[in-house]
Amino acid sequence: MNTLKSYLESMFAKMPNTPEVRRAKDELWQMMEDKYNELLDEGKNENEAVGTVISEFGNLEELSKELGLEKEFSYQQESTKTEYADEPYFSTQETLSFEEAKQFVDAKIQHGFFVAIGVMFCIFSPIMPIISTSFHWPDAIGVTGMMLLICVAVFLFVYSGIMMGKWDYIKNASWMIDYNTAQVLEGEKSRFRSSYAIRQTIGIILCVLCWIPSMIIDESPLGNVAEIENIGAVLLFVFVGIGVMMIVHNNMIMGAYDDLLKLNDKKYVSGNYVKHQKNERYINDTVATIMEVYWPTVTCVYLIWSFLSVDWHITWIIWPVAAIINAVIKTNLTIKE
Amino acid sequence: MAGISSDVIRGYNDIMILYILKKEPSYGYEISKTIRQMTQDKYMIKETTLYSAFTRMEKNGYIESYVCEPDESGSGKKRTYYRITEYGRAYYEEKCEEWILTKEVVEHFIQKGEE
Repeated sequence: MNTLKSYLESMFAKMPNTPEVRRAKDELWQMMEDKYNELLDEGKNENEAVGTVISEFGNLEELSKELGLEKEFSYQQESTKTEYADEPYFSTQETLSFEEAKQFVDAKIQHGFFVAIGVMFCIFSPIMPIISTSFHWPDAIGVTGMMLLICVAVFLFVYSGIMMGKWDYIKNASWMIDYNTAQVLEGEKSRFRSSYAIRQTIGIILCVLCWIPSMIIDESPLGNVAEIENIGAVLLFVFVGIGVMMIVHNNMIMGAYDDLLKLNDKKYVSGNYVKHQKNERYINDTVATIMEVYWPTVTCVYLIWSFLSVDWHITWIIWPVAAIINAVIKTNLTIKE
Repeated sequence: MAGISSDVIRGYNDIMILYILKKEPSYGYEISKTIRQMTQDKYMIKETTLYSAFTRMEKNGYIESYVCEPDESGSGKKRTYYRITEYGRAYYEEKCEEWILTKEVVEHFIQKGEE
């Protein structure tokens, strides 16, 4: 049955997504399904039934007139000769194989892991000066430790960015995924959803509760001892670091599935494989450009303000505020297509 | 036995479909099955040919389609049924006349084996 469904989907994948085409696909599917079920009832095995249905299916060129696609069909034949064309009626997208899609998801998940760890190291980096201060070590040790962590983070960003670079071609050319791949990806994505929710929640809770250790330590009788007082600050960064790492990693994994599922163009039947797909885009290029650098800018402001004022206990407020502004911009300045 | 050339029979797919719909409304697979049974497996209409005939005849007003929801017992599924219109009946009669004439004309020239 799945073989038949994929056969039909692949026949229609590059057809324009019009009501006539969709109706034809539905009607043909009704007939194929009926015939398949009857063949099974007659005692044929699945393979025989699939073979018979496909061999008796006919070809879509016969429907070109009824679907209002005469031009497209004659065009399609012509365009195979001329190879390049200005305005294709049929999708010229190429299909990404299932293996490639799998590899892309794996690569993206690995990339997400490296980036998440890098971000965590960046957030951990201020811990080094704090430790060195509380033990009255020379400042150089703390600063060196901080720089080392940042270096490792930068290395992870650059390395994984370069590794990910080989997949750029997916974005540059127009690619689509076939019905089977879409089904599998949809399945994996929905299976991931429950663990996504748990990780996201834990990540957010860690960030929200980051100040608890330092509060407890402050209230306790040991709060006045410098070495112990600083543990609170260290734990704050540890909490935030792990929390942010989980959120970043989580969203990179989700992004891997979404990237592929977004490939299919809604103008063509293949766009129907992906349900409830919403394309969000910013209302104009200016907003899009600003949002592109939004989080890096916030990070810079955070680091600059924090290092200049050394008010680490206040500066974290940037993150929740930035998140709220981000949400407001996303809801008000995007168009859902 | 040589198969039927699809070019020749194409013009008469309409007759077969209208003949079946004249008796009672029906749906895609049932029609193709009936054609096959009536011709003792000698003619098998392809799905795309059948659908192309449906849309063409519907556009010309010979047949109408309607969706039949699954019945309450749960048997059967949602299907598109077709029924013949008055216009379709007239067209059927016309096509029958045409075929009788065609057959008569061609028959004059049919000779099996050397005489």
